[in-house]
Amino acid sequence: MLNEILSALQSVATLQNLLIMIAGIWGGVIVGAIPGMTGTMAVTLALPFTFYMDPVPSILLLVALYKGSTYGGSVSAILIKTPGTASAACTALDGYPLAQQGKAGKALNMALYSSVIGDFISNLSLIFFAAPLAILALQIGPPEFFMLMLFALTTVAGVSGNSLLLGLVSAALGLLLATVGEDMYGSFRFAFTPDMQAGLSIAPVLIGLFALPELIKLVVMRVAKTEKAATLGAQHVTREEFMGSLRSILKGSVIGSVLGAIPGIGPSSAAFFSYGEAQRSSKRGSKFGKGELEGIAASESANNGACGATMIPLLALGVPGDVITGVMLGAFMIQGLTPGPLLFQTNMHEVYMLLIGMLISSVLLFFAGKATMRMFAKVSYIPQTLLTPLVLLLCIFGIYSIASSTFDVAVLLVMGLVGFGMFLLNIPAAPFLIAFILGPMLEENLRRAMAISRGDPSVLLSTPITWIFAALIVFALGFTLRREIRKSKTERQVAQ
Amino acid sequence: MSKPVLRGLVIAAFFALTAFALVPTFVPRPAFIPGFAPPPDMWPRTVSLIGIALGLLALCLALTRPAAEEEPIETDGSSPWRMGLRFAGLVGVFGLFLALIPYLGFLLSTMALTLVVVLMTGERDHKLWIFLLSFVGPGLLLLFFTYSLGTQFPKGALTKPFGF
Repeated sequence: MLNEILSALQSVATLQNLLIMIAGIWGGVIVGAIPGMTGTMAVTLALPFTFYMDPVPSILLLVALYKGSTYGGSVSAILIKTPGTASAACTALDGYPLAQQGKAGKALNMALYSSVIGDFISNLSLIFFAAPLAILALQIGPPEFFMLMLFALTTVAGVSGNSLLLGLVSAALGLLLATVGEDMYGSFRFAFTPDMQAGLSIAPVLIGLFALPELIKLVVMRVAKTEKAATLGAQHVTREEFMGSLRSILKGSVIGSVLGAIPGIGPSSAAFFSYGEAQRSSKRGSKFGKGELEGIAASESANNGACGATMIPLLALGVPGDVITGVMLGAFMIQGLTPGPLLFQTNMHEVYMLLIGMLISSVLLFFAGKATMRMFAKVSYIPQTLLTPLVLLLCIFGIYSIASSTFDVAVLLVMGLVGFGMFLLNIPAAPFLIAFILGPMLEENLRRAMAISRGDPSVLLSTPITWIFAALIVFALGFTLRREIRKSKTERQVAQ
Repeated sequence: MSKPVLRGLVIAAFFALTAFALVPTFVPRPAFIPGFAPPPDMWPRTVSLIGIALGLLALCLALTRPAAEEEPIETDGSSPWRMGLRFAGLVGVFGLFLALIPYLGFLLSTMALTLVVVLMTGERDHKLWIFLLSFVGPGLLLLFFTYSLGTQFPKGALTKPFGF
């Protein structure tokens, strides 16, 4: 085995492979940082180029793009409150307030450190736990999936904003919007126009909800912040700050690795889950959402922590965990490799090369992140009155280019107005978004579970795993309510 | 009417509209549903009913409990009427942008939208940057997306003879 590992290391450590990985990560960071351009787009666009490459370098290029774009999403999330990718939405909650306080560099550095650690741990999990985790994920059926997602949703609703009730309202709105389009039996729901028959894409909803309300606020309320973010040079994360967030980084990395290994969950849910857990368990939980470094650490360690882990079901079972690994499955097939249990027997050398390459790419992510950070930090110097229209411009072009659809641009603008309305009513946006992403899976698993049980709803509490998730939901709700009641009592006492 | 009361009313009314008007009209039930699978309207109806309950709960809490302090929204001091007009103006600009794409094409419409939005933010100082952002920015982005990603942007009925 050691000989095989050394041989694989020798094969990976060539100048060509290193350059490919650097290009992939750098390109991914840049693409991820541009609002409206997603990691999926980067990986898909690179796919044709891999036709002309050897199998392992081609997969490494795609993996590097995936990792780079996942981290890159945090750059725009922090600097302009526009998550470049869905998985960076939580990062914006604390990153942008920090940038407004002139601590953009600190936030970007923390995002980078957390991403690299999460990514490295995720790669280790891929190496050591691929088979056992894949077996565990296989045992999860529709009722368990439904309860798992319901738990994730409850947690997010509980931790976003100041009110559990408004968090749940936001989640209900997201779930409702997710039902637009064709359902699993071919019925069209809320298809007011022919374009709506295909449903609403995630990208315009996400970008519209998070990026455009800032522009609308600026136009309607005209409160442009004139202060510029401080330079990055003096914004290093101190040892105390890093150590204070280390627990959340490690926890987020593990959450990302576990959730990423379950097909369909992916980096976005992992980031939300980790953020909620960090807020719940942190001493500084009340500061989350107002510019807390630990919030960024939790979110970024989990979303990058899920990157390597999404490869677990792909490599071990041949099941892609999300859209990006779905594209990678295509790349494997093009190269004559068939992911699945047999891959570990017939192409062990390539598997080792891939795993070693992924570990190396974690290190490269650090350097690419540092270099790109300085470049994107210039954004902080642009006046808000010019920057926000620029964001609108990037969003419109980016969103249009995904599906060449003017309808998607319309969805983007409408979601901006919806986001502004939610801001006026103090309804948090994060539960809306996660509900919108999880909604179709949640409903599909509920309907499958009901079909399997012949319409008996008790199927949702039929196995130990479903009971565990039910107990966690009750615990999360109870904990959040208790926290709110205490806070309310304290506020009343202060008022008296 | 206080903000929490208005919020409860808006939430309950929105979900009620969805449950009792939109779902029956826009979520058709297929003639045949295989096995024991729930019908397509089950999920949106359930979510809407939960939403109504949450809205009513928010309303009850707003009416029965003293209003908690909510962070005031920062403004430039303009009257609500003026801010409402700005919002309506922006909605109109967005609508006009979408309506103009088939006639002026993507490029010109985006240029016009960007210029109007920059001016609506109150920016008047950086004239060169306003020009670059409004006219050069969309052009560069169009070239980038067209040549490196192969995106085909819609041309306008009026501007097609000019190539955009």
